[in-house]
Amino acid sequence: MLLEVHDLQKSFGGVTAVAGATFSVAEGSITALIGPNGAGKTTVFNLASGFLRADRGAVTFAGERIERWRGDAIARAGLVRAFQAPRVLARMTVIENMMLAGKNQPGERLGAAWFTPRRVARREAAIRKRALELIEVIRLSSLVGALAGTLSGGQRKLLELGRALMVEPRMILLDEPMAGVAPILAEQLLEHIQELRAKRGITVLVIEHDMDVVMSISDQIIVMDEGCVIAEGRPEEIQRSERVIEAYLGRLALAGASA
Amino acid sequence: MGLFNPAFWTFVAAIAGIYAIMALGLYVQFSLAGLPNFGHVAFMAVAAYTMAILVVRYATPLLLAATAGIAASVCLAFIMGLPALRLRSDYLAIATVAGSEIIRYLALNLPDFTGGPIGSIGLLGPGDIATYNHDWQAFLDKAKGVIEPLFGRIASRDLAMAVVVWAAAFALIFIGWVLERSPWGRVLKAIREDETAAMAVGKNIVAFKMQALVLGAILGGLAGLLLAWEIGVFNPDDYQPTLTFYAYLILILGGMNRIWAIPLGSVLFSLLYTGTRFLNFYPLSLFDSGSRAFLRLFLVGLLLVAFMAFRPEGLLGNRHQLLLEK
Amino acid sequence: MLQQLAQLVVNGLITGTILALTGVGATLVFGIQRIANFAHGEYLTFGAYVGLFLNVDARQDLAVATAGAIAATALLALGLHYAVLRPLRRLGLVATSLVTVGIGLMLRDVVFMVAGPNIRQLNINQMVVFDLKLVRISPGQLAAVAMTIVIVPAVAYFLARTPIGKSMRAVADNRDLAAISGVNVDRIGTYVWLLAGGLAGVGGVMFAVVQGTFDPNLGFQVLLLIFTTVVLGGIGSAYGALAAGFILGLAMEVSTWGGFAGGLDPRFKPVLAFLALIGLLLCRPQGLFGKARVL
Repeated sequence: MLLEVHDLQKSFGGVTAVAGATFSVAEGSITALIGPNGAGKTTVFNLASGFLRADRGAVTFAGERIERWRGDAIARAGLVRAFQAPRVLARMTVIENMMLAGKNQPGERLGAAWFTPRRVARREAAIRKRALELIEVIRLSSLVGALAGTLSGGQRKLLELGRALMVEPRMILLDEPMAGVAPILAEQLLEHIQELRAKRGITVLVIEHDMDVVMSISDQIIVMDEGCVIAEGRPEEIQRSERVIEAYLGRLALAGASA
Repeated sequence: MGLFNPAFWTFVAAIAGIYAIMALGLYVQFSLAGLPNFGHVAFMAVAAYTMAILVVRYATPLLLAATAGIAASVCLAFIMGLPALRLRSDYLAIATVAGSEIIRYLALNLPDFTGGPIGSIGLLGPGDIATYNHDWQAFLDKAKGVIEPLFGRIASRDLAMAVVVWAAAFALIFIGWVLERSPWGRVLKAIREDETAAMAVGKNIVAFKMQALVLGAILGGLAGLLLAWEIGVFNPDDYQPTLTFYAYLILILGGMNRIWAIPLGSVLFSLLYTGTRFLNFYPLSLFDSGSRAFLRLFLVGLLLVAFMAFRPEGLLGNRHQLLLEK
Repeated sequence: MLQQLAQLVVNGLITGTILALTGVGATLVFGIQRIANFAHGEYLTFGAYVGLFLNVDARQDLAVATAGAIAATALLALGLHYAVLRPLRRLGLVATSLVTVGIGLMLRDVVFMVAGPNIRQLNINQMVVFDLKLVRISPGQLAAVAMTIVIVPAVAYFLARTPIGKSMRAVADNRDLAAISGVNVDRIGTYVWLLAGGLAGVGGVMFAVVQGTFDPNLGFQVLLLIFTTVVLGGIGSAYGALAAGFILGLAMEVSTWGGFAGGLDPRFKPVLAFLALIGLLLCRPQGLFGKARVL
């Protein structure tokens, strides 16, 4: 299990967003996190990736306990997240966005530009090369020099994905990648998500509402409702689960549910 | 002083260079790292007082005292780091101005330590006149010797000061420019643009901001030392928040996002500043020297408002790259 | 010892009133207009000098001078709002703060240029002291108390009972909710400048009479104290500012009492306030009575 979440709890004021969530994600899998609105899915992402501090509970990634880590440390450790509304750096170009995310840049150390200029230049060139390769993979090559703020919603999601790949992740958290994306780009996104696992061995945990997408690409599905995990299993099992249907439809389906 | 007195122009030049270094320190903190530090003057005060106290009371050699002064500014930056990195921008502005006022009040009211309201002259207690400037003047004499071949008759200590200061200013701006275009500068740009996104790709926001803060403190401290050496004396009233806003005006005049516009901004500002003080033609002659100070500050305020309103990108800046809105 | 404490309490309450009244205006403006107005102290200076002009030059009595100061400063605040602050709203928090710094510099130095840098005082005989056995009160403090007795209840009534006052509190507390409830947020935003300006005007006069002598640096000295009051009471909470002003005034004065291990050296009173301001911004930006907002 690459990512293990155990009894995670988080409240905001009087509102409990996550009330003891427990699940695990196997390495190399594509796992979907689904549930009705307000179930706490994005909060779980925030807690796991270090953007929120949990009130209680544990998060283990690649064997290490990371629930107290800061967001940037977790990203460097290999658990990278994308945001529901893509956070691209609008006033920087596409290539700058990508190169920013490059890992292990000696040039980011304060004195380096002065004391080790050649090493910095070499690494910059390597990062630029990788960035251009990835830009081609996500098919934004024609927009290399464009300001990220001029990209469409779907293009921004692709850019965020490319940026996440620059960080050389072991696992990516995707928050509703299909939402608000034009169908052509959505298909492309879907391909990329599948390639993540197939070509790069990256584990994927994706929040998604589009059930067709979920059922077609996931190995494993985790269902949340009202802050807890109510079901965990393979797509076929989840489809048949009464509890899941009840959570979504809000009532017990007696006769017709079981197939 | 008349318009054609060379002493006037060397003075303007020296002040402009010193203010350029002060503004550069603010540039690193504000334009690069996005930290609205309204208490920048505190770095200058802390460095100057540390240096003067060491020289006057403990006969410390100049270089050591200056280094200690800068180190004191860096310590202040670390203390500032705690609030700076957790506060939202307008809260940070208020907290930093409160901090610089605390320092000024302490300097004003601890006469045994800082000489009190009399300032540096009082560092040896009442009845003694303390000066800290002799070693620096000796250094300037040597510098004057170096520039004499170039400038001939007009070479003077004051001119040497101006040359030294501007050499330092340009060197430091160049270093800043290289840093700005390096991967380090890129991360800061990203932090200004969207801190959360920068964190999401593994950048340690706290460390980067802290580095900018420390750099700005070193530059501010250096400016404080140079100003203390140029004027020869100082007192707590020289370190009012107004000085910080001079630095902001300098940045705004030239262009808040153009590091090479800083010399332009500082020269313009210094002309305004020393011009209203020393030049005697109409309409300035309508004001006596006391009122000139108020006219000067009024113009500073007016320029701040006017540029923010009509030309926030400054004289040389680029409107599209303006990262002010937060 | 006890007498010193009693005197400090009286002084603290009187200083507190100035901070409280000015703070109410400032906190509503900060809460509604969402800016940190670095020129607010200069509004007090302006009020003090209008009062000076009316009282000394135009030989009006103090009540008339105060009324004049209130009106003039209210109009000043409104004028600056229309001329400068509203058109520049789009600039964002920091830029607007810099603009208010510029306005403050201009205002302060116009006063310097017009009225001169000399120390001035209003027409109150500062030589007399009223000895009330336990404490002594100067005529200036007495005048301030008189103003307090008139103005504080009026302001409290205005905020509690009148539609405009209630709307102001509503907008400061929750802008969107107030807008949905039918409050004309823009108009309230304009009225609040009148209120803040007027209160700054009376604050300036009170400061002048209590301190006895003053010069155009008056406002700059109180600016951070006003900020402290606003933050302590919770930005946008009028009643909070009222309470916070008194608390801060008392804390500053009483901290110098000998009974507290010799007491704080009076010269460091402002330092105490500034440290409190920084501490509050760091640890409890909602102050004593504000809501903890998610930034």
